[in-house]
Amino acid sequence: MKRRKFIKNTVLGATAISMPVVLPGGRLFAATGSAMAEHLVFVAFAGGVRQQESVLQRYLLDSQEYPSEGNIMYNLLNGGYPTDKIVYGTDGTVSGDTPIPKILNQTLESQGTIFKEMISSHAGHYGGLNTLLTGNYQYTQGLNSKSQMPTIFEYVRRHMGVPASKVWYIGNGIGNSIPLLDYSIHPDYGSQYGANFLAPTITFGSDGFKHLKNAKIYHPEEELDPMYKMKYFLDNVWYSQGKSLPNIGNTEEEKIEIKQFFKDMFEKTEQGVIAHPPVSGGELDSIGYACEVMKRFKPKLSVVYLSSVDTCHSNFTAYLQNLHRADHGVGHLWNYIQNQVPEMSGNTAIILAPEQGRNLEPNNIVDANGFYSYDHSDENTRRVFGMMAGPGIQTNLSLGSEGNSKGDLLNIAPTIAEILGFKEDMINSGLTATNQSLFDLI
Amino acid sequence: MKRLSILLILFLTLLSCKKDDPIYDINQIQSQSYNANKNKLKSPAQYISILYANLFQKALSANELVEITRCIESVGDKELVHEVIISNFMNKEGVIIPSDSLMRSDLNLFIEETYKRFYVRDISEAEREYFLNFFLLHPEVSSEMVYTAFALSNEYQFY
Repeated sequence: MKRRKFIKNTVLGATAISMPVVLPGGRLFAATGSAMAEHLVFVAFAGGVRQQESVLQRYLLDSQEYPSEGNIMYNLLNGGYPTDKIVYGTDGTVSGDTPIPKILNQTLESQGTIFKEMISSHAGHYGGLNTLLTGNYQYTQGLNSKSQMPTIFEYVRRHMGVPASKVWYIGNGIGNSIPLLDYSIHPDYGSQYGANFLAPTITFGSDGFKHLKNAKIYHPEEELDPMYKMKYFLDNVWYSQGKSLPNIGNTEEEKIEIKQFFKDMFEKTEQGVIAHPPVSGGELDSIGYACEVMKRFKPKLSVVYLSSVDTCHSNFTAYLQNLHRADHGVGHLWNYIQNQVPEMSGNTAIILAPEQGRNLEPNNIVDANGFYSYDHSDENTRRVFGMMAGPGIQTNLSLGSEGNSKGDLLNIAPTIAEILGFKEDMINSGLTATNQSLFDLI
Repeated sequence: MKRLSILLILFLTLLSCKKDDPIYDINQIQSQSYNANKNKLKSPAQYISILYANLFQKALSANELVEITRCIESVGDKELVHEVIISNFMNKEGVIIPSDSLMRSDLNLFIEETYKRFYVRDISEAEREYFLNFFLLHPEVSSEMVYTAFALSNEYQFY
């Protein structure tokens, strides 16, 4: 090949790689094999969110029959905020009267694609989260049981060969069996492909300070090495009996790194320098530690589970406040990734979806503001939204509307697989309820 | 006289020689595997309360049991979090471990007792052989390191 022809071909090839083309389905890149983003953060948003107060932006109009409408999630959604009867903010002169300043210059809705009316067929938190993480409605799945179908963590680790320390699952606590979804009991997948679960408000909270903080950091060669050798001998003898202990497969080096991370987090917590959002406390502290995980490990896949809006069962005011705070937390997380984690900036995608909606009709509980509360059991619980943004995802695209649903929570897991570039492997497993990602619905 | 003779014969019959049980000069051995009966995984609360009692020779308070169990549940990698908790225990006052000099003074007895303390069973000869060799090759190994390895081992997770 002559030099001139070689240069011409090289330039053409490079142009073909670097110039994104909008393909059918709203993709900017091809579907299979080629990753759209290097990293993905999935936020299971908030713990049962009504459409009415989120994407429909009706604030108190639908729920309390009070004529005040507006958007209280202005980091995620386009739309003006309410101007009357402000109770969703932080405490100022009176409780909740001070809305939290917006973090993102551009909403995630305008940065990406929103599905305004999706379907969730589960009316329970654990079942809904199960669906989001496995791409299956496992109606027989009870609490205190691990999923029978592989989780997205296992697909990522098995089919992409990703080490354990690059896959994180950060929970807002340990209730509702949430920690059990770090891996499934499926025989072809299982613990060896599991995620590193962390409930940081416990690990680095008062319990952790009392029982984890003073851990010795053993010398890797002089102390840990002989200790592990003895343990491996004991385990080899034990394995001859055919029993094995679930193990997510952090290598010794990864374990040392995670233990050092724990030690650093205790120190940073004491010094008050964790990357918490400007307004912190409660589940927003989980967001702060999630930021620290991003900074340290640059995960391929992170799932952050937020659940505080579940206060809606008995306190609608707190529900509004927690919805507003969750929006603030996600804004901070996205902003932190873009500005404080250079290795993830510009090559990370984000997906958000609640695990379920909430009822249309209130229960009998009235809070201090005289607002009715809402459970999750009627048809309205099936209504949810979803959104995604990041490299390769079409911007300013809105799909579906009230009465015209588009998308199902089942589509989330294949979407994650498509963005990270292993959708075909996931489909070939035959273990997801649908082969369609959200891109296939565009 | 006749009656006396009958009684004498009867008495002698009772005291007559018996056939000895056969002795084959073979030691009795355990035909089952040493750890075969441990098939249930300890819950975090069981694991931590047994470990605490083992190391401190007293019971863990109910409050601390709940707190430590929550810590275990807050971290997905159980091996890792167990290691962190054990090393915290080792940093606490009141942990009862033989001194390194006592351990080195009779390695055979130390490892036998360690097996009984953690696994509630006798050591096998293969295991004894391994550890005695290991201790000779690694003079820096302390009793704390041995206890940590046993507390982290898989057999200790089952009962």
